[in-house]
Amino acid sequence: MKKFVIFLLSLSFSNLFSQSELLIPRDAVTVFSINNVSLLQKISMDELVQYDFMEEVHQELFDGSTSEKTLKDAGIDFNQRLNVFYGKSDDAELSGFTFGISNTINLFEVFDDFEELQSKYNNVKIFGSFFNNLIIKNNTALLIRIEPSSELIDAQTDSIWYSRGNSYPYGYEGDEFGDEFIFDEEAFNEDDSLSEPEEIDFPEALEDPTEKNYFELRDSVQLELQKGLLSKLLDELLIENANLVSSDAVFKEQLTHPCEGTFYLDNSRSLGQTNSLWYFQTVMPSLYKDIKELYTGNIILGDLFLKEHSIEFLVEARYGEKLGSIYQEMNDSKFDKNITKYIHKGNSAYFTYNVNMRNAYEKAYEVIMPIISSEKNADIAMNVMVLELLNELVNKDALFETYRGSMFGTFNGIKKINTKKIEFYYDEETFEYGEKETEATEDMPIFTIGFSIGRADLPEIVLKNLGRITSKFENHDDYWVLNNAILDAAPLYMINKNGLFIFTNDEDLALNHSNGYGSNSLPKKIVKELKREGFMNGYIDIAGTLNRFPSDLLNERRSEMINSLKGKSGKMFLESSKTTNKSTNFKLTYEFRGDENSGKHLLDLVNTLYIFSK
Amino acid sequence: MFSTMNKILFFFISLTLLLSSCIELIDDLTIHNDGSGTFKYTINLSASKIKVNSILALDSLDGKKVPSIAEIKAKANSFAANLKTQSGISNVTMSINDADLIIKLSFDFNSIPNFQSGLKAAILSIRDSKQSDDSNQSNELNQNWISWDGKILKRNIPLMSLTISEQLKETDLDLLKTGSYTTICRFDRAIEKAEKSTTKINPSRTASMLKVNTYDLQKNYSLIDNCIYLTPLKNK
Repeated sequence: MKKFVIFLLSLSFSNLFSQSELLIPRDAVTVFSINNVSLLQKISMDELVQYDFMEEVHQELFDGSTSEKTLKDAGIDFNQRLNVFYGKSDDAELSGFTFGISNTINLFEVFDDFEELQSKYNNVKIFGSFFNNLIIKNNTALLIRIEPSSELIDAQTDSIWYSRGNSYPYGYEGDEFGDEFIFDEEAFNEDDSLSEPEEIDFPEALEDPTEKNYFELRDSVQLELQKGLLSKLLDELLIENANLVSSDAVFKEQLTHPCEGTFYLDNSRSLGQTNSLWYFQTVMPSLYKDIKELYTGNIILGDLFLKEHSIEFLVEARYGEKLGSIYQEMNDSKFDKNITKYIHKGNSAYFTYNVNMRNAYEKAYEVIMPIISSEKNADIAMNVMVLELLNELVNKDALFETYRGSMFGTFNGIKKINTKKIEFYYDEETFEYGEKETEATEDMPIFTIGFSIGRADLPEIVLKNLGRITSKFENHDDYWVLNNAILDAAPLYMINKNGLFIFTNDEDLALNHSNGYGSNSLPKKIVKELKREGFMNGYIDIAGTLNRFPSDLLNERRSEMINSLKGKSGKMFLESSKTTNKSTNFKLTYEFRGDENSGKHLLDLVNTLYIFSK
Repeated sequence: MFSTMNKILFFFISLTLLLSSCIELIDDLTIHNDGSGTFKYTINLSASKIKVNSILALDSLDGKKVPSIAEIKAKANSFAANLKTQSGISNVTMSINDADLIIKLSFDFNSIPNFQSGLKAAILSIRDSKQSDDSNQSNELNQNWISWDGKILKRNIPLMSLTISEQLKETDLDLLKTGSYTTICRFDRAIEKAEKSTTKINPSRTASMLKVNTYDLQKNYSLIDNCIYLTPLKNK
């Protein structure tokens, strides 16, 4: 009954098409839209504002001047959606959120440092605070920050600066022989003084105080560009009514889904902003155009559903026909049943990844080679020639039998492992001391990763010869071991059996279960499911995995992600559908136990996704 | 920006924070009747190889850059090279066993004042200008943590150690529980007595050893303070 009520509520409010989403700029590439009503009936605002994904919203809103206030004090209408967006074009980066307004007075108690600016739009008020702007149209608002790209600012500033007859503003322009200044990145990073902001050698003030120096000019240019970009964006939004909903039918349709939150990421548009493709974009524009075309229709859509004892996140990865044909071939692979023998039924986390690299290679060769072959560029032509020759000369059967593409991984918690340590012992007569090697134990996360392999003889050739080079490689009956391979302290075991090549630091697996766990491996029911489903599947027992994960040793972002789920006692499942040439669907299910507020679980998951995607 | 020295200092502090196994420190001071002597200092992290190497494998920890082994070695060698140039200091050796994570420093000195001033100068040489300007750090270097009048050796904990240990969080301190700090003093003649009752004196009474737990030491700095009284020097 409860589920039915939630469903109805969600459906009804979603279909209202609250107006806040009509203020999302069409340049937004990533949008996370929260259906406030159905969400907030399960979670208090006090809890909501503590999340990372709300932190940015808060920073924009409160900027420290209104401490102790939260979103619920902000006059926001929670009957409308809250949409957080981000976008990047060649000229600018934009971020912000749109929301409904219930009480303008309360809103401006929070936005107390925003000043009203002149508006040329009917029924629209514009407010500004530094680079943040608040646009209010009827009972909806857009809080936006547009930052012109530094390349655009530099280009404009340089143009004005040099046209005024100024010389190079930084005081050094190579020596008189025209030698290039070689930037030594290592030395730069090493030399702390270079990184100290106060150490920057700013141009000196000019004799004429009314004349701007380079950096003052740059600031002015930045401000003017920002104004121009904002004006252009507002014209689109408020005069042409061009927003993401009106310009993207996929996003519009996505908003009608009866769910607590939706996620939208247009990869095809974000591709152009990927720095790694800068070279193609500038040097080989036609190839870049072809690659971009390949990515046409590459969109990731997600729906969040809150159920009584579970949360579901449905993701659809869509792609264009050409790229889709490669994915389809890659994912059209028979599940390697040997994998499941090596996953213990008690493993707290595992994943399986089942692809056919041979098919993927053949299809990619068929699709991509014509694209790069048509590029009239000497470097590309050489690369094409090399690829074509390799395609003819390399024994693809041997190559793809050695690395078929399917793999699995498990995490089995933290175990004590045996290591060696140096201990100092003292002579009681003289207190002189010496060193002796003794046994020690240290904690280590236990991982296993294995690959499907059709040519067990090939890795044996490598291992056998490595074993001749160093005594650190040892051959045992059922496995190889590389001593002190992990962090110079722990052994790495390699098992080459049953069509799998496995790396593990789990001594028990290598010594006692080199043929798999037998009756203690995954139950048949789960194996059947894994065989039936798509190319990627995973499972995490939150309590058994994340709560024991050594987050000290992860980078900040990954650690945040893990920490945001710690303390939970649920289970998470990842399933994927069969891949077509148009899309693949993923389903992430988070089942939880206990009486904890289910909304809290949802927001923890949302927060994790937010941290993952930022 | 975190200076290189700070990074290295941070690295060692982080190690002590994260080592759930142990850190073993040995300081071994020999003083002859004429005031000359030998100082040996050993840091043994071999019982925590996995943790230390995990940290070294990171680019940064808690937002701070983790120095590489090469950077640590370079800094240590620079320190040793400077120490060699100090007046009254000789036979400086510095070794870093990166396989077992053991660092050893050893040098001879011709007098206690030269021992202290040489060590201070070498420490200053690897600090950047900003650190040298810092008044707390200057105080640390102005402190004499060891004194010797020919009969009594008095040792305190260096102020620098206090500054570092004050930065440790309560949760981190638990991790020091299995570490040890051993201080050994050797003399040409017999020890009459030691102020700390926990000091062990060898049968020939020419060496003393005081071993404390690193966790206890952080809680009570005076544990390592000691006064060692020698028997009077026999006139020839």
